[in-house]
Parts: sequence; C-alpha cells; structure tokens
Amino acid sequence: MKVWAIIVKELREYMLKPGSISWGLVFPLVFSLAFIARFGDIDHLIPGLLSISALFGTTSFVASSIIFERRLRTFERLLLAPVSYGEIILAKVLVGAIFGLLVSLVTLVLVSHFMAYSIWSLPLVLLYLILSNLAFSALGVYVSLAISNSINVMTWLNLIRLPMMFTSGAIASLTLFPRWFLVVGLITPMTYSVDGLRYGLLYYYDVIPPLESMLALVLMFLLFMLLSIRALKKLY
Amino acid sequence: MIEARELTKRYGDFTAVDRISFKVKKGEIFGFLGPNGAGKTTTVRMLSTLTSITEGEAYVNGYDVRREKVGVKKSIGVVQDVSNLYDELTVEENLRFLARLYEAPPENVSKLIKDFNLPARKKFGKLSSGYKRRASIVAALIHDPPVIFLDEPTIALDVKSARMVREMIRALNVAGRTIFLTTHNMVEAETLPHRIAIINRGKIVAMGGRSEIRRLLGSETRVRLKVEPLKTSLIHALEEYSPAFEEDALVLKVKDIDAFMDELAEIKGRLGFRIVHLSTELPSIEDVFLELTEEEGEERGCACGGCPI
Repeated sequence: MKVWAIIVKELREYMLKPGSISWGLVFPLVFSLAFIARFGDIDHLIPGLLSISALFGTTSFVASSIIFERRLRTFERLLLAPVSYGEIILAKVLVGAIFGLLVSLVTLVLVSHFMAYSIWSLPLVLLYLILSNLAFSALGVYVSLAISNSINVMTWLNLIRLPMMFTSGAIASLTLFPRWFLVVGLITPMTYSVDGLRYGLLYYYDVIPPLESMLALVLMFLLFMLLSIRALKKLY
Repeated sequence: MIEARELTKRYGDFTAVDRISFKVKKGEIFGFLGPNGAGKTTTVRMLSTLTSITEGEAYVNGYDVRREKVGVKKSIGVVQDVSNLYDELTVEENLRFLARLYEAPPENVSKLIKDFNLPARKKFGKLSSGYKRRASIVAALIHDPPVIFLDEPTIALDVKSARMVREMIRALNVAGRTIFLTTHNMVEAETLPHRIAIINRGKIVAMGGRSEIRRLLGSETRVRLKVEPLKTSLIHALEEYSPAFEEDALVLKVKDIDAFMDELAEIKGRLGFRIVHLSTELPSIEDVFLELTEEEGEERGCACGGCPI
C-alpha cells in the first residue's frame, strides 16, 4: 500500500522531468532510429537496442527522481514517515522499472517493424525485459544514493552506462573481443540482459546460456537492492 | 514529552552537538535558540530520527529515538526549514499521499484543507512562499501527532506570512500539541515559547522561562533617556552605564536604579538639561541571546562541508 502510494507519486512528479525525458526516452529512441536508418535490417542489434532502452529509461528516471528529492529535501518526507528503508528502495526500484519497461516496450514496437525474422518467444522477451529493468533500476538507485554530491549523479551514471553499451555485447558480439573484455562484461547486468533478450528474440545466445542470464539478473537485482538500502542508511 | 540526555552528534572530529540535556513538558512550546551553525537543526534531526545519535539518549512521547523509530515517527510532525512538498502535485494530492504513508484517515485531508484554508487544487510548486510554508505545516499534522518540531518556520517569509505562521503555531499549541521550535528570530523567541534553551557551538548555554532568561544578565535594567539639549559632557558623565544611541534616545545599562536616579539628578543640576523622556525595561531575550553568543557568534564552518548544522 505504502509502496504503491510512493510509486504513483513518483510517476506523477518525475515522469515529465527533463532528465527522465531526455536521457530516459529521447536518447534510446533516437539511438535505435539511428541504427535503423543506418542498417535497415537490424535483427542482430535489437537485443542491444532493447537493453540500452531499458538501461537508460530506468536509470535516468530513478536518478532524476533521487537527485530532485535529495536537493529539495523531499526525500526526508519519506524518511520521516513510518516507512522502512526497504519499502522506500523497493518503491524507487519498481517505479524506475515501470518507466524503463514502458520505454523498452515502445522501442520493441518500433524496432520489431524492421526485423527480418519474427520474434521467437514474446513471453520470454517480456520476462527478460522485466528482469533487466528491475536489475538496471536497482543499479540506478544504488548509484544515485552512493554518490555523496547529488549534482554528480548523472555524470557518474554516464561513466557507467556508456562503457556498458560496449562491454555487454549490445553493439558488437562479445565473441569478437579478447577474453579479458568478456570478464569486464560479466560484472555488469547488461551483458546478461542482452544475451537473454537475444535468446528470446532470435533463439540463440552469444556467451551466456539463457537460464544463467536469468539467474544473474535476479541476483544483481537483489544485490543492488541491498546495496541501495545500505547506501540510504549511510546517507541519512 | 521530549527528553534529551547528554545528546551528542559528531561528524568526524567535528562536534555539532555536545552533550546537551533538556526536557520538554507536554503542551509546552519549547524555544530552541541559537545562531547559525549552533546545532539547532542537527538536534531536531536527531530527535526526529533523520540523523543518527553519536552518544547520549533521547525520548519522544515515551519512545526511545534510537530503538523505537516507528513509534517516534508516528508521534511527531516535522516542519523543516524548507517547504518540501512535491511541486507537481496539488496541495490535496500531497496531503493524500502523506495520509497514505502515515495510514491516517482520508477525512483528515479535507478537514485540514478546510481548517487552514488551503488552496486544495493548486499545485504546490505554484504557491507563494507563505502558502508553501502553511501547507508544509499542515502536512506535518496529517496524522494528528502530539509533538511538532518546527525548524526555523518563518525563515525567508515576509512579515505578513511570518505572522500568519506564528498564529498557526499558537493555535496548534492551544489545541494541546507540544511544540519544539528552533529559531533565531527574536520576535518568535519573545512571544511564542513558554521556555527557552539557548544553544551555542553545540552546547546549551542558558535554559529557563522567558523571565528567567532575561534575568540572566543580572538585575540590569535598560534605561531609555531623552534629554534636551544633549551634551557630550552628559555622555561622558554617564560612561559607567555603557551609553548607546537607539534612535534619538540614550540607552543605559543600570544595575542599581535608585543610585542611578540620584546620580542623574546630581548630573542634571550640574550640567543643566531637561529630561524629555525616561523609561526603564528589563533586558530582552535578544540582549541575553547576543550576550551569550556574541563572542562566538560567527558562523562555524565544518571541515566535512556536508553537515546540516
């Protein structure tokens, strides 16, 4: 009930903030359109584009919300209410995931028009999208709370997000890179998201089997949730 | 209702609040005065569970602030020194949201909006600063708490809005609520609190009722004296009373009023002037505040740069 109240409030308050719109909606859609315009047939790129949409949608929304709430001290409204740290973090992660899911579904509708093959398993794609959005949202919440000066949150997020686009195999297959590059990819949730979505969309994967991708995304979601709760306790 | 025992907050090597102890009785307005950076806000943040306590104990409405945070949170309403509701939500939506968080009856929202004459359908971000503060105070009442913390409630408000907020505070107290009011506004300090504590550099330097606080400067009486013609020789003659000008009158600090009157009569005879006005008054809370915080009144800087003191 309290978690749902926070989710509704967040959507009303932050959905149209510039940070959510520019980095969270416009950037992933324009990025996808650029690839469509350049290549036309983009089947092999679609898992990466969906994952990029989810990553930027979720993290931009939660960062925008947390930056505003920390600076305007509305975060303290939540902390003063009889709501646990866990409920606050869960609400923030869920609302980020909902926004990210909307952005990634819009991207899916857009890019599916340019697929040569049809989607292999839509339910599996939706499942991977949900798990990816939860893991990315939790990562975004953690980064937004772990950075002591809220003004720097977006910069730090980009420092993490932009390299992840390459280390995850979203743009180019990880099999084309040296082994050490794969190790870097394995520590970020996006790699599992891209390979899981690739399996759901195209019925093959690059390096990580589908079940392992699923488990890794769940574990990363839980890990970043716990880290976010710890960061919130440290911050206040 | 509120009790602090040896309450301490440290940020690294910096001590923001240094072993302060006090009790606030039920139904009391307790004024917590201090210059900027004295530790007022840190104290409120500790008592309201927003900041951890480094050492000492605190109880609010019988709940241990360290161990029974939920009990404390349900017992208090906090009005911070900023008006921090959600800009894109209307006043009513803000209150409904908070009512859900506090599991307060939904009818509280419409009652508060009516009682405090708030523009329910207006977005919070579009309100004037006075109405924003009014809405922030009302937001703290959504769950009908017995204790209200008000941190600099009239800061940055115009005269009219500040008066409106002071009237709200009085009304809340008349309704039976215990109020912990931090301020460095002397109008508030002179008129609102039943008891006052003055904090400086993290330590309580004075505490008591308003008249007790005034008496802290000894039995000193302020004498306002207007004479014609005003001569330099008169100022020299009254030097031991630390003469100062306020508007067109001389203000003197007098310990023994009878001896002073005798001396003034003697000086009058000697220098030849006419007394146009003469009045006496006890020192104000402001006088005591300045006296107790004057030497160390400059703002403190904290090494960490992030302390909300």
